[in-house]
Amino acid sequence: MNTMTQDILPGENKGAALKKVKAHIKAYIIDVLLWSYIVLAGWKIVYEKAIIGARYSNFSWDQPLLSLGLGFVIALVLFFTRVSIGKAVNGLYERNPEKTVLSEPFTILGYVIFAITFVSGLLISQVSIREFLSESGLHGAKRIFLALFNPNFAIIQDALFAGVETIYMAFIATAVALPVAFILAFFAARNLMNGSRLTMTIYSVVRFLLNVSRSIEPLVWAIIFSVWVGIGPFAGMLALSLHSVSSLSKLYSEQIENISDGPIEAMTATGAHPIQIIWYGVVPQIVLPYLSFTIYRWDINVRMATVIGLVGGGGIGTLLMQYQGLAKWNEVGLLVIIIAAIVWIMDYLSSKIREAIK
Amino acid sequence: MLKVTELHKKYPNGTHALKGVSFDVKQGEFLVVIGLSGSGKSTLLRCINRLHEPSHGTINFEGSDITNIKGQPLRTLRSKIGMIFQHFNLIPRKTVMTNVLAGSLSRTSIFKSILGMFSDEEREKAKRFIKIVGLAGKENQRADNLSGGQQQRVSIARALMQNPKVLLADEPVASLDPATSHSVMQYLKKVNEELGVTIICNLHFLSLVRQYASRVIALKGGKLIYEGQPLDIDENWFKTIYGEEAVEVTID
Ligand SMILES: Nc1ncnc2c1ncn2[C@@H]1O[C@H](COP(=O)(O)OP(=O)(O)OP(=O)(O)O)[C@@H](O)[C@H]1O
Ligand SMILES: [Mg+2]
Repeated sequence: MNTMTQDILPGENKGAALKKVKAHIKAYIIDVLLWSYIVLAGWKIVYEKAIIGARYSNFSWDQPLLSLGLGFVIALVLFFTRVSIGKAVNGLYERNPEKTVLSEPFTILGYVIFAITFVSGLLISQVSIREFLSESGLHGAKRIFLALFNPNFAIIQDALFAGVETIYMAFIATAVALPVAFILAFFAARNLMNGSRLTMTIYSVVRFLLNVSRSIEPLVWAIIFSVWVGIGPFAGMLALSLHSVSSLSKLYSEQIENISDGPIEAMTATGAHPIQIIWYGVVPQIVLPYLSFTIYRWDINVRMATVIGLVGGGGIGTLLMQYQGLAKWNEVGLLVIIIAAIVWIMDYLSSKIREAIK
Repeated sequence: MLKVTELHKKYPNGTHALKGVSFDVKQGEFLVVIGLSGSGKSTLLRCINRLHEPSHGTINFEGSDITNIKGQPLRTLRSKIGMIFQHFNLIPRKTVMTNVLAGSLSRTSIFKSILGMFSDEEREKAKRFIKIVGLAGKENQRADNLSGGQQQRVSIARALMQNPKVLLADEPVASLDPATSHSVMQYLKKVNEELGVTIICNLHFLSLVRQYASRVIALKGGKLIYEGQPLDIDENWFKTIYGEEAVEVTID
């Protein structure tokens, strides 16, 4: 530490000091938030629910504000001791190398926060051994399990058709997504786009859009599309292809970012046109990984298609939802078996194919 | 045929790799560039075919200034300058034939090249060059399954496919064993003498330089510090180029 400050030039000293102030502010904010959390969770969840046993504790916005105020005070008081987690994560403590981090006061505070969160979690999830083992509960479970293990084979024809629908739906979703993702991936590959400011802007926009659409679950897209185009396989397919475009583009572009520059340089040196450079220098390096990703995606899409069916995306999921709604557990049992078989076969095939083309 | 004047190259990160290099290359020469690692040899070669943009100075090729050309004229220029690399830079998973045919991309239309529709004439020519580099019969093997020396010969054939006036070779034998090195150098010599292609080659081993070069230039810290005949590099020059500590290593 000492030698460092000595080496810093006068001009840089200011920068270093500013940095230190910033780190302290950051540390204090972290402490305030942590302490507010401890106060709020300890009071509203642990104290009121567990100790007083209130079922519905009344909530008002004063309470988090009060907690925040208390957090400010507690954090300020403890900021000058060794229990500040904010200071610890910002590296503002001089550490004694002999002592392990695990026995430091701030780590002990960390344990406390973990314990409060764990207890709160149990309370909020309403974990109850009593209900898990209650007689009527166990009885109901037994009935369902018995039914599930006695599948009704009368509906096997419908079930198989629905399964086929799901597989095709997933296939079309993947096939539609493939060319779109193929082209988008070039725009989302940093090493191809870092040439000029314009291309970098395109890169950022494409990346942003892909990230946004990928962070919205296909389940949500399926709900949107089932309102848009009506309940059925088409809505499910649209939801799956949208999600596939964004995740395939990401995987593809990462593959492009990992290719070696050698062949590209060599093709450039022959005087080839940029399109020829991509076709001869880039594409041969990426086709097999692409193929592998795409088959894997189809595999994932089959599974997702099942889930999406539950919200009206068609296929075997929709059938499952209907029988479940009617509490026809023997039929549900058969559907579960068929879904498991499809998933297992797809998984097996896709891993075999991917192995073969490696 | 090639005239480099006061060439400077500054990389975006501030490295000043070339500091005013000037030299001439005559038709049919086998010019070897030597110098320590980091002296700017690769940078120099890549400025000549404009894989890197020179920061200052001019490059004159066959009487015209090519320092700032762009687009189609630049691609035409590059097609006249073949290049071979230390790590071969072949297209992975493709056959020897496809790799050699890639040397003719600049005169093949984009559409045809994407469909792999090269004319019979080009295929004949590719076969001939594959034979010249001693790989006849291996046309349909995957190039990345060949040995290092064979891969480098494929890349020579690919460069020849361009009908080059000049061949730039960036440490063509640095990743090969001594015997293979000699064989590859022999092929370069053959290209130089029998096909009349001018060669500019970066090399590390002085023994190779003495055997193959018709003229030598040496770089040190981005400056040209020696220009002359390979046999004139004596002990003193050696120490100037490679530093006092250096001891000559030979390769036979
Ligand atoms: N793309 C680049 N960006 C920034 N600096 C670079 C780049 N390429 C090379 N340099 C730097 O330029 C200087 C000259 O490098 P160059 O590769 O031309 O040397 P060289 O003589 O070919 O060395 P070697 O024998 O190791 O291949 C080195 O200091 C290197 O670090
Ligand atoms: Mg080099």
